This record gives sequence, structure tokens and C-alpha cells, in this order.
Amino acid sequence: MPAIFPRWTNNIPIAIGLLAPLVGAGLIFVVWYWFSPSYTDVGYRPEQPVPYSHKLHAGDMGIDCRYCHNTVERAAHAAIPPTQTCMNCHEQVKTESLRLRKVRESYKTGEPIEWVRVHQLPDYAYFNHSPHVAAGVGCATCHGRVDKMEVVEMDQPLSMGWCLDCHRNPEPNLRPLDQVTNMNWDPTQEAYDPKRDPARKRQVNPPLHCSGCHR
Amino acid sequence: MARVRTTWAAMAALLTVMGCRGNRSNEPPVHLQQNMDFQERGEAQERNDFFADGRVMRPPVPGTIAVGYLKEDDHLWRGRLPNGALADELPAGIELSAALLDRGQERYNIYCQPCHGETGHGNGPATRRGGGFAVAPANFHQQKFLPVTLGYFFDVASNGKGSMKGYKAQIPVEDRWAIAAWVRTLQVTGEASVDELPEQAQNQRPRRIQ
Repeated sequence: MPAIFPRWTNNIPIAIGLLAPLVGAGLIFVVWYWFSPSYTDVGYRPEQPVPYSHKLHAGDMGIDCRYCHNTVERAAHAAIPPTQTCMNCHEQVKTESLRLRKVRESYKTGEPIEWVRVHQLPDYAYFNHSPHVAAGVGCATCHGRVDKMEVVEMDQPLSMGWCLDCHRNPEPNLRPLDQVTNMNWDPTQEAYDPKRDPARKRQVNPPLHCSGCHR
Repeated sequence: MARVRTTWAAMAALLTVMGCRGNRSNEPPVHLQQNMDFQERGEAQERNDFFADGRVMRPPVPGTIAVGYLKEDDHLWRGRLPNGALADELPAGIELSAALLDRGQERYNIYCQPCHGETGHGNGPATRRGGGFAVAPANFHQQKFLPVTLGYFFDVASNGKGSMKGYKAQIPVEDRWAIAAWVRTLQVTGEASVDELPEQAQNQRPRRIQ
């Protein structure tokens, strides 16, 4: 009686045994590397309606972040400034600039400039800027060196694992409370111990439970 | 064998096209869970076509006042005494203290320094770029500003003056008083020579911009 399966089929279990782990590991790698916000989100730099340069304003001129994002210490949302904030200076400086045409138009008509949002957490994640600023987490820690960006881009993945890395061990990302907006403050160069800072009224205790962020 | 090679080439090409982490892109990030990531709710400063003007954040109905914002205290909110003159004292509840001046200095350096300069000489970084200002920002050390009241600085910080716009939307009221106190401090210490200051203050004197 002839064999039902040809002889080479004897190799199938061995081949599966050898290949399956490789294919599985490959799949895991693909998901880990390309499905992560480190790939999907970091580097997102939408074109804005007005070519506003943070490098010029925050970097070269050294204007504090809070001049424009003035709600960041008191509110959950670090507000995009109203057009009037631009006009505080630009009614005086560069009044004829073509790049500022939309700003002048918006100021005249009262219609907001439609800035494109860069950092967008999923709606099921709660985030509040003010306690982070109050705890001494620097702007640059999450937003990168905005003072060097002509066009703002996402610098960090803002993923859950990334949030938890810091919530589990916040100390390396804390800085003196008066250095929060200082883009040049380099945590690797400064020996700062938040536990010994007399300016801190209390030590940070970031939530690790689910409802801390998913409320 | 040729097919295996094609498969490998296709995979390598795919991975190359997908690129590495941190690639810069104009395209919005891919979100797999659209209905969870973007829920049907209004968030600060978002667009919503439910309203005719597309704004989620509704401007208050004209003539309405939020609870707690009646602003009936003329001294605190407008810097004015009952007789309508600008006050020269801090309003009740705001005490002159080292903490107030520290706060004033910090807030001044955020909101005023870009134009008026760190020392109040009217030569901040914004005036030195883009062709400069048509009308130079005030120099607080000018003779005409020395006798003005504290309430004057508060009033100008709130409502603006000349080509300067008001900052009451940008700076909370207590901080505007702290800034007024700091401007007065700059005036007092600004033009004095270092030797005239007490020893402790000599080291803390604001840095003069060249």
C-alpha cells in the first residue's frame, strides 16, 4: 500500500517548531515597534495656518512659555493664546508682514485662527497641566526643546507606558519649581534632589491607580 | 528560490517604507480606536459644528456675570479709591511681603519683560527685533513715572495705555498688583548706585541690561 503522505511531510513538524517562534517573535516585534505611539505619534508636525516659530519667540527672544500659554498653572488645558496675545507685540512689530496676515485678519474680524492641535491625548485619558507644573515637571520634559523648533512637533509618545514610567518614579523628571519653563535646565547636568528642596511644600505622590487618569 | 527572494525583498521594502520611529510627518497620527479616542464631547478650544460659530467654548451672554466675579471691590479690581482717584496702596487682602515681591518679579519677567525689559528701562527683547517698536515701551525710571501711584501701574497693566494693550485677560488680578509692587521696586532700586543699597540688596539687585 502506497504511503498517504510523501516522505518530505515528516519535516513539517520540525519546520513548524523552528519557524513558528521566529514568525511569532517577528510579529511581536512589528507590533511593538510600529504600533507604538513612539512610531505613530512622535514626529507629528502639522503645518499651521500661521508659520509661528517657537524657536524665534521662545528660543532666541527668551519669552517665557507662560506669556502665551498663561492658563497652564491654573487650568487643565494649556491654552492656545487668543489673537490678542499676538497683537500685544505685533501691533508694533512687523505690522506689514505677509506671514502675519491671518493674525491681523483674525484680530479685525474676531474669528479665531484655526491652529492645528499637535498634542492630543485619547479622550478616555484625563490629563491636567496644573498639578504637573506645580510638581515641578518641566515643559521640556514632555514637549521637548520647543525653543529649538521652527515647527512644533511631538517629541514624546504620550503613551500610557510612558506616563507610568514617570508616575512610578517621578524624581528624575522633577526640577526646582522656578525652573519649570526654563528650557535650558538640563536634568542630567544638575544634581537636584526634590526631597531636600525647602521650596517644596509637599512631596509629589502621583497616582498609579486606573482612575487616576481614566475617570 | 526566486519566490523566497521576492518575499524577502517585499518585506524589506515594506519595512523601509514604514520607516523608523521619530520620522517627521505632516499626517495626523493613526489612531485605531477612533470612537474611543475622539469621543462626542466638547473639549477646551475645540471646534464643534453644533454651534453656528463653531466654538465649543461659549462666550458669556452679554450682561451676565459669573458667580464670584461681580468685581464690586473698586480698589482690588480697578485700583480706584471711593472718590475715583487711583489708589497708592495695595488693596485689602494683599500684603506687602517678600513673597509678594518675588511673585511680582517672576510675573513681571514673564509678561512685562519682553517689552519693558528686566530692569524696566523699556528695552526688552521684543523691542530689539523685527525693526523695533514704533512707540518705545515706557521706561519706568523716567522722571514722569516716579511720582505716579501704585494704582496707576495696576491700571495700565490691566487696561493698557496708548499702544500697549491691557493684560487683565492674561494675568489674574492679584498678580497684577504684585507686578505693580515690583515695578515700584524697580523704580526704587533701579537708578540708585550700588553703594547706596544695603549690603544684602547689593547682591540681589536686578541685573542691568546693557
